[in-house]
Amino acid sequence: MNNRPRKLTLSEWDSRYSQLQREGLSEPSYGGPLRRHLIEQKDFRLEQLRFDNSPAALRLWNFLLTENDRLRQARANGDKIVGTMKDLGTVPVMAYSLPRVRAFYPDGAWWTPCLMECSDKLLQQAEAMGIDASFCPVRAMLPAFQNGEHFPRPDLLVCSAGAVCDDFSAIAQRLERLGHSILWWEMPRRRPPAAGEISCPLPGHLAAPRIQVDAVQAELRRVSRALGELAGKSLDDARLSEGIRAANQVRRLLDALRKTVYCARAAPLPALEMLVAEMLAIHFCSDRQESLAVLDGLLAEAQARVRRDEGVVGPEAVRVFWVNPVADLRAMNLLEDLGGRLCGSDFMITHALDLIPEETPPLQALACAALSDPMVGPTIERAARIARECQAGRAEAVVISRIPGASHCAREGEIIRSCLRQQIGLPAIELEIPPLSDAMLPAIGSRLQALIETAKSRRTT
Amino acid sequence: MRVFLTTPWIPAEWIRAHQLDPCALWCAETFPCHPSPLGAGVCLFAEWVVRFAEAQPDAALIFASACDQLRRGFDTATLHGRHRAFLFNLPATQTPAAKQIYRSELERLGRCLCELGGRAPTPESLRCEMLKAAKARRRLLDAAPSSPARAYAGALAQFHRDGVFSAPPAVAPGNQVPLAIVGGPFCAPHWPLLDVIENAGGRVVLNATETGERSLFSANEPDSAGGNPFDALADASFNAIADAFQRPNTPLYSWLKPRLLARNVRGLVLWHFTGCDLWRAEAPTLRELTGLPVLLLEAGEGPGVSQRQVNRVEAFLETLK
Repeated sequence: MNNRPRKLTLSEWDSRYSQLQREGLSEPSYGGPLRRHLIEQKDFRLEQLRFDNSPAALRLWNFLLTENDRLRQARANGDKIVGTMKDLGTVPVMAYSLPRVRAFYPDGAWWTPCLMECSDKLLQQAEAMGIDASFCPVRAMLPAFQNGEHFPRPDLLVCSAGAVCDDFSAIAQRLERLGHSILWWEMPRRRPPAAGEISCPLPGHLAAPRIQVDAVQAELRRVSRALGELAGKSLDDARLSEGIRAANQVRRLLDALRKTVYCARAAPLPALEMLVAEMLAIHFCSDRQESLAVLDGLLAEAQARVRRDEGVVGPEAVRVFWVNPVADLRAMNLLEDLGGRLCGSDFMITHALDLIPEETPPLQALACAALSDPMVGPTIERAARIARECQAGRAEAVVISRIPGASHCAREGEIIRSCLRQQIGLPAIELEIPPLSDAMLPAIGSRLQALIETAKSRRTT
Repeated sequence: MRVFLTTPWIPAEWIRAHQLDPCALWCAETFPCHPSPLGAGVCLFAEWVVRFAEAQPDAALIFASACDQLRRGFDTATLHGRHRAFLFNLPATQTPAAKQIYRSELERLGRCLCELGGRAPTPESLRCEMLKAAKARRRLLDAAPSSPARAYAGALAQFHRDGVFSAPPAVAPGNQVPLAIVGGPFCAPHWPLLDVIENAGGRVVLNATETGERSLFSANEPDSAGGNPFDALADASFNAIADAFQRPNTPLYSWLKPRLLARNVRGLVLWHFTGCDLWRAEAPTLRELTGLPVLLLEAGEGPGVSQRQVNRVEAFLETLK
C-alpha cells in the first residue's frame, strides 16, 4: 500500500487500518479503527471527511472522538470533572495542576451537530429551550447538559463573563437557570494602558494596565479556591507553577508543529488535522499527558515528511491564513480540494498557544495569559497579530470564517479585513460556515475558488 | 462640550460635575440617524450608535462594554478615525473585583473628561450634582405608577438629556390590561408602540427597558454631612445595575419582580433589537420567573410601529382580556 502522505476517506481508512495492524501498529487504550465512531457514536460526518493517512493522525482522531468516554471513565475512577466555559485555555491549566481533576470545555459540544450530522437533534432541542438559530451553534451545549448523553455532568462549572461572546454568555445564563450552578468570573475588556498607568506585558506582544491584571488575578484566585475545595487540596503556587510548566510543554510542541507545517514548502499535514491539533491546547482534550504523546507523534510525522519533501498538498497550493474555527469540519477539506492550504491560523485560541510566563508569580502569569485572549481585546489588536502571522507564514490570502449567529462575527470580519488591507494588502474574504455546510458548498466553494484564483493571479513568478 | 452616553449605567452627574454636558445618546435629537442597510447579525442599536459617532465627529462619545455589539461598535468607530471616544468597562459580575473595575473606570473616565476640557470636581461640586440628580430621579420614580406611559417616556428622556425632572400628567386608573415593557433601549421613534398598546386595550404601567424606569438607579441621596461623595457615587451606581448582561442576571429579576407585583402587571412585552442575543435569551426566563405571558417585539429598522407589531400586540392583549 502507498505510504506517501495523502488524504483518505473513511472507507479507505478501513483498509489502511488493517494494513497498519498487520504491520504491528501499537495503539493507546482509546485506539481502534475510525469507523467505530460512526457505528457507536453516530458520528456520520466522518463519512464526508478526508483524513490524513498517518498513524499519528489516527491517534489524533481517536483521541478527539473518545473524549466523552474517557471523561466518563475518569469519573468512574474517582476523578473530579470541571466544566470550564468560554475562557478557552486558562482555567484548565489551573484544574490540571491538581491531582485527580480533569477539565473540559462543554463549549466543544458546538461540533456535535456537525459530527453527528444533526442526528442528535441538539440544535432543535436548544430551540425548544428558547435558544433558536439566531444564536451560535454552541447552543448545542444546552440540551447536551440536560440530556447527559454526551459529556458527563461536571462536578464544578466555571464560566468567564464580561468581555465574552453575547451568545455564549446568554446560553450559559440559561444553563444556570436550568439548575446548573456556575461560578462566574469577570473578564474585563482588555485595553491598552493609558499614559501614567503601570503597563504589564502580556503574551502575544500585548499589554494591559496593571489594574486589569490585578482584577483578573483576584478573580482567578476565587476560581483557584473553588478548584482546591473540589479537589480537597489547596491549589498553591508550587502546584500552579508545575501546572504552567506542563501546559507550556504542550504549547511548545504545538508551536513546533505549527511552524513545521505552516512554513513547509508543501503542507506535510492537512488543514483539518491542524485545526484539531490546535484545539488540544485549550484543555488537552481531557488528558494532558496523552495530548503530549499525540502532538509528539504528529510533529515527528510532519518533520519526517518535510525531510522527504512530501506533502498532502503540493507546493503550488495557495497559502491561506484562516481566521475563526469552522462549524463544519468539512470546510477545511474543501480549502485543499480547491487548491489552498493552511499557512497560519487564528482559531480564536491564540492565547492558548502562547507560552505562559514562568518567571512571574503563577496566578499573575495566568491572569496575563487570560487577558491576552484575542476575543477580549480590541479587534485591531487581533488583526495586528493576524497580519504579523500572515507575513511570517507568507500568506497569499486570508479567509475569515463566520460562525452563524455569533455576536462577534457581526463586525469583526469587516474590521480585520480593513486592517489587513491597510497593513499587508492581502486579499481576504468572509465565509459563513454552518454546522452542516453541504447545501452551501457550491456557494462557499465558488467564493473560496475566487479567492484562490485572485491570490494566484497576484503571484509574480 | 456635549458628552453622549450609550448606557444609563454610567452616572451622568459624574460628567456634569466635570462641567461638561452629558446627554444619553438615545435622547439626542439626531438619534437615530437615517436607517441604513444592516449587516448580517449586526445589532440595530449598535449600528445606530456607530453611525451617530460618524455623524457627530466633534462630540465625545462614551461607549459601554456591556455587550459584544457595542464593544465591537467602538472598535469600528475608532477604526474609522473617531476621536473623543471612550469605552467604559462595565463589569458583568457583582464581585469585589468587578466593583473595583467599575470604580477605576469612573476614575479613568474622569481623567478623560479633564482631557476633553472638563475640570476635576471638588467633593462639594460632585455632591451638589449628585443631590440634584438624586432628587430628579426620586421625583421620576414617584411619578412612575401614576403617569401615562408615553408622557413618562418623555419625562425620562428629558432627565437623561438635560438632567431635570418635568412632571408628566397623572392618569386616572382605567380598566386597561396592565403590561410591563422589558428589554433594551426604547428610543423615541419607538414610542408610538405605547399608543398602539393603549389603542388595543392595554397600558404600560412599568417601563423596565434600559432607558425606562430601570435606568433610574438608586435614588439614595448622598450624605450631605460628610463622607467621600465619589465613593457614594461609585457604590450606588454599581450596585444599582440591573440588566440582562449581568452574570448571574439575578439583579434584573430582583428589580423586576416586586414592581411587577406591586403594579399588578398581567403581561410582559420583551422589547429587543435585531441581533441582541442577551435580551432574546431572557424570554424563557422571564416567563418562568414571573409566571406571566411574554410577547417578543423586535425593533424595526425604521421609526414607528410596523403592521406586524400592531397585529402581535393586538393578539397578545386579546388573550389577556
